[in-house]
Amino acid sequence: MNALPQTIRETIARWLSAGEIELFIGWEAGTIPLRATPAFIRKAEEVERLIWDATCENNLVNFLPKYKGKKVGLMVKGCDARAVVGLLQEGQMIRENLRIVGVSCPGVVDPRKVARRLGIPVEDLDEAQAEGDEVVANGQRFLLAEVIYDVCADCRQHNPNIYDVAMGEEVADPAGDPFAHVRAMEALSAEERWARFAGELQRCNLCYACRNACPLCYCNVCFADRTMPRWVYQSDRPEDVQFYQIMRTFHLAGRCVGCGACTRACPQGINLRLFLDKLRLDVQELYGYVAGTDPNAKPPLTTYREKEDYNDFVL
Amino acid sequence: MTESTTAKPWEPKILAFLCNWCSYAGADLAGTSRIQYPPNVRVIRVPCSGRVNPIFIVEALRQGADGVLVSGCHPGDCHYLAGNYYARRRFALLQRYLEYLGIEKGRVQFSWVSASEGARFAEVVTRVTEDVKKLGPARHLNIRIAAINESEPEAR
Repeated sequence: MNALPQTIRETIARWLSAGEIELFIGWEAGTIPLRATPAFIRKAEEVERLIWDATCENNLVNFLPKYKGKKVGLMVKGCDARAVVGLLQEGQMIRENLRIVGVSCPGVVDPRKVARRLGIPVEDLDEAQAEGDEVVANGQRFLLAEVIYDVCADCRQHNPNIYDVAMGEEVADPAGDPFAHVRAMEALSAEERWARFAGELQRCNLCYACRNACPLCYCNVCFADRTMPRWVYQSDRPEDVQFYQIMRTFHLAGRCVGCGACTRACPQGINLRLFLDKLRLDVQELYGYVAGTDPNAKPPLTTYREKEDYNDFVL
Repeated sequence: MTESTTAKPWEPKILAFLCNWCSYAGADLAGTSRIQYPPNVRVIRVPCSGRVNPIFIVEALRQGADGVLVSGCHPGDCHYLAGNYYARRRFALLQRYLEYLGIEKGRVQFSWVSASEGARFAEVVTRVTEDVKKLGPARHLNIRIAAINESEPEAR
């Protein structure tokens, strides 16, 4: 793990001691191998705890709505930055209240992929850490690029699009279709698509980690927690699980920025972005809109065009 | 609703969300004009097609509807000026999304029917009913079918 560069640490310390922010959210070394943990820094002298490396997977923007109206600083990767834009668009934050350190990110490491390479369960990883563009785990070395999350491999925005201070060398965005997995699913028959959807969700036990990790899932009362009416039951019936996942993902239609926080948070390794990315692709195709790019753009489902909007599906 | 187990041909249950100002009045006109249409629809009157939350549609499928129809005023005719425009954006995405997840095309449909289009309402209902009949009973998301399968596997 790497401590932050001197200049960045000094900047954050200055923000804190000058009262520009009362809290800075970054990452610090955690207790689980290959997983940094969020750090909440309130005093200038504590900035030494902060780190940045390929184990810093949490999307810290998730915490922002909890500090609505407060002056907060935080570190964002390229994908996380889009979530900041999303929150600004939805009026959840005021830009003036934020101090953002934008990190250029080559991708974060997927502990499951490393464990698979080693042929062990992910729980058996120990002594693992990220070192530059390599990952060392259980005595073996891997190229970081080969063990990053799928969402990172499909990332087309490695550098944050909103920040006050930039950190790290800019990472080039590769060409290629980031929606290849969606198009592969589209090519299947309806039966096969359902089998894929239901098959993935077989492992879901409604722990709501996806919702809790999502930076855009900030409803005060989630429909899944509502008791009047009660939509979602804590049951093991596949229909209830499917219902929850359909409605949660659809609630992110036109809002999901594709940061992959839900997919990384899922303890069962469910490929949630296979479903959310379909919504992102359709929003792009139908309404020419990419979530998390323009803080002043209106979210696509809060606006309309009388003549030009897609109408062919209506009888 | 209990159904006898004698060999009656299967008839689809279709839930229709009709907006108060256009489609519900259109359905009413179909009735008062004595136009025949399939009796498979169960109508829920809503203030506007924009009032229909996507959760209603998915919940209907879960509760055993074989098909869902949402119908509102024609573009430009919304009583609340723009409710149907918002609905259109939402449901274009929802329909594509459900299809992507493997819910057959045709289970969830949308239409514009005005208060003066009684005949058109009958046409829409006929078409949706035929589409759903072709697809057969809803197999996905349906907790009723799931419950039957669990309790007595041979009953289906």
